[in-house]
Amino acid sequence: MVKVNKKGQINHRKKPLIQKRDYIGWMIMLPAIILFAFFVWEPILESVRLSLHTAKGFRIEEFVGFDNYKRLFQYPTFLQALKNTFVYIIWSLIIGFFTPMILAILITETVNLKSLFKVGIYFPNIVPGLATVLMWKYIFGEGKTGVINILLSYIGVEPQVWMNNTLLTIPIIVIILTWKGAGATTLIYMANISNIDPALYEAATIDGAGIIKRIKHIILPSIFSLGKMMLILQIISVFQILYEPLVLKQGGPNNASISIMMLVWNYANREFNYPMAAATSVVICIILIVFSGLYFKFTKTKKD
Amino acid sequence: MKRMKKLVSIMLCLLLAASVLTACKKDDKNEATDTPNATKTPVEKTDDTDGNGDKVKTDDGAKPFELTLGIWPEETLVAEIELHKGYVETFNNDHPNVTVVPAYYKYAVDTFVPKAEAGTLPVIFETWYTDTQKLINGGFVADITDELAARGWLEEINPSIKDLMSKDGRTYGIPRDGYALGLMLNVELFEEAGLVDADGLPIYPKTWDELAQTAKTIKDKTGAAGLCLLAMDNAGGWHFSNIAWAFGATLTLVDADGNYVANIDTPEAIAAMEYVKSLKWEYDVLTADPTVENWGTGFTQLGTGGAAMYLAANDAVNQPTYNNGLAVDKLSIVPMPAGPKGDQYSLSGGTPYMFSKDATPDQINAALDYLVLMGKGPVLNEDGIRANNQYCVDNGIPVIPRFPAWASEDLKAAEDALAAEYSNVDMRLYNDYFDILKKPGNLRQEEPGATQEMYAQLTNVLQAVITDKNADVAALMKTADENYQTILDTTININ
Repeated sequence: MVKVNKKGQINHRKKPLIQKRDYIGWMIMLPAIILFAFFVWEPILESVRLSLHTAKGFRIEEFVGFDNYKRLFQYPTFLQALKNTFVYIIWSLIIGFFTPMILAILITETVNLKSLFKVGIYFPNIVPGLATVLMWKYIFGEGKTGVINILLSYIGVEPQVWMNNTLLTIPIIVIILTWKGAGATTLIYMANISNIDPALYEAATIDGAGIIKRIKHIILPSIFSLGKMMLILQIISVFQILYEPLVLKQGGPNNASISIMMLVWNYANREFNYPMAAATSVVICIILIVFSGLYFKFTKTKKD
Repeated sequence: MKRMKKLVSIMLCLLLAASVLTACKKDDKNEATDTPNATKTPVEKTDDTDGNGDKVKTDDGAKPFELTLGIWPEETLVAEIELHKGYVETFNNDHPNVTVVPAYYKYAVDTFVPKAEAGTLPVIFETWYTDTQKLINGGFVADITDELAARGWLEEINPSIKDLMSKDGRTYGIPRDGYALGLMLNVELFEEAGLVDADGLPIYPKTWDELAQTAKTIKDKTGAAGLCLLAMDNAGGWHFSNIAWAFGATLTLVDADGNYVANIDTPEAIAAMEYVKSLKWEYDVLTADPTVENWGTGFTQLGTGGAAMYLAANDAVNQPTYNNGLAVDKLSIVPMPAGPKGDQYSLSGGTPYMFSKDATPDQINAALDYLVLMGKGPVLNEDGIRANNQYCVDNGIPVIPRFPAWASEDLKAAEDALAAEYSNVDMRLYNDYFDILKKPGNLRQEEPGATQEMYAQLTNVLQAVITDKNADVAALMKTADENYQTILDTTININ
């Protein structure tokens, strides 16, 4: 029996694995745990197992140790894909990290038509991902039929090549990502900002602080910890970028926009080589675990 | 009361968990999950009106089974579906025990393995020549050697084509059609540019240099692109290998030990790539963005007047015409242009039929019988070919001779006679192309090795030279060569 003292704290001397009063909790979690086990944990373990074997289709043939990993590191496009993935992250931080913060502050400071702006900013989020990508494909289209090129032609500018300029391919894809994703993050920041005690604003206004000072001394410090959280979430999601470069340019031109997730896609769907695809996925997983570990370490020292 | 509440909540949780688990139940009706809605219902057995009893003449007490046809036309091709319904009617006269289930499946690399592993592949489907070895090695397709041997078809398959579909002496597929790449022309644009002779036939380029000039004339006179070059996916490298051959290149060698050696950065191959680069930056005769053009969009460009020339083959004449609206008499196929030293090759291959690994011998035999009805086997089926030719005439598709996928000369002669009977085009628009294919040494199979990987590397170089005016072709080809060699050494050379 577990002894619980008056304050509801558990007596630590004898502690069985599952305590009776936790049964309901476990029960409530059970469906989710089953789903997680079936759709997340089992596939992850299966990927690790598959990556150490050769296979026909999904059917495992023989154990080859780390051969698939060795082959992956020798694959000519691997380093390019890894490098590109970090370039995606860097551009997404430059373009995409501060955009939602700025939008959130602007909308919070808006007096009229606040809801209109909120809806407007969230709207791209409800557009299906592929539709978004295809739409931007036409906007940044090459030659005389691209929307931006048509607009530029009115002021006498020659058609530009946009995404075929290897220096612009990744930044343009990040702009598309930001256009689609910034709205949701903005709402999260806005929720955070609206939690700030209005007394702080009043005090600041009485002290004669203008909008710049209010942002600098009140809003930014209060969304700082949320910002750190968003940073790691953004890095994790951008690291797994797949369908935007796949649909827009198939990773081209000349592999300029290939991401490491596209390697997985190519291995699995172009070559039917599932063990190699699994090995690549495991490498991605390890890199992300390292990122997350660094993040937890980083935030812990800041908190204490 | 509190106890009651607790009990109810536990019950609810268990119910939820149980409902999650019910999703794991295996559904036996697998064909219902993957065929498109409109083709889900089996085609009616049309011999029902006569009563089934006296119809069973060939299969005494044969067990009924289903034949799923991945080669069924897609929903939008209404006329072709009617054609197939006719085939099914005839088919069921001899096979009353077989229920034909339309299961249109267009082979696509991202859907294939899941379907194969889940056992939902149709019994028979089309795939690509370039992918046959991949499917055989993966164990996704049925060995049909015995069925073919029993029919005497094994010797009939064009031997070089059979090799592509065989491994260790066993055969896994049969050819639908053969193809040989040529230069497809939009005659309308040639007329508009004044590039026609006294008979109104297009004056087409004989060499790649002439092609650049012709393309320039067309671009200047009509505004349309001269040539549709592909640089989006592996089809870009596929087309380029044919251009490189004309410049004297051989892209993959086999050394004394049987290992493959990348041979991409030779002066000849570099010259070919320089030539492609000049089409963009010197002549500027390509479509707006070749990096978004693939096999299908190329036909759209050609058919809708976006481009005047395109590398394509005799088995795809329905693409620019029926699919993209080009008038039937405005299409021409001419020989692949020659290189600076007169080298001239036509890349040849074909579209194979393959069979699901789960197909039973009965199903495979039934599928082969169905192919005969369609006029696709090595057995002359006059009715099937007539129906197909009539379909082409009715739908504005040029009726031209097939490229021989089967070795039999008699069959070829009989088929050609039927094609001539239904001819709806001026054969002078095609004769030079068919003549050059008969020239010894003109036909050339795809490069051996990890061919798709080589195409991918070449497509990368194409993208670089098309998008960067200052691209260093020699350096790019060297990188492609090194990359391809690494891939060869880490994959097929170690086996």
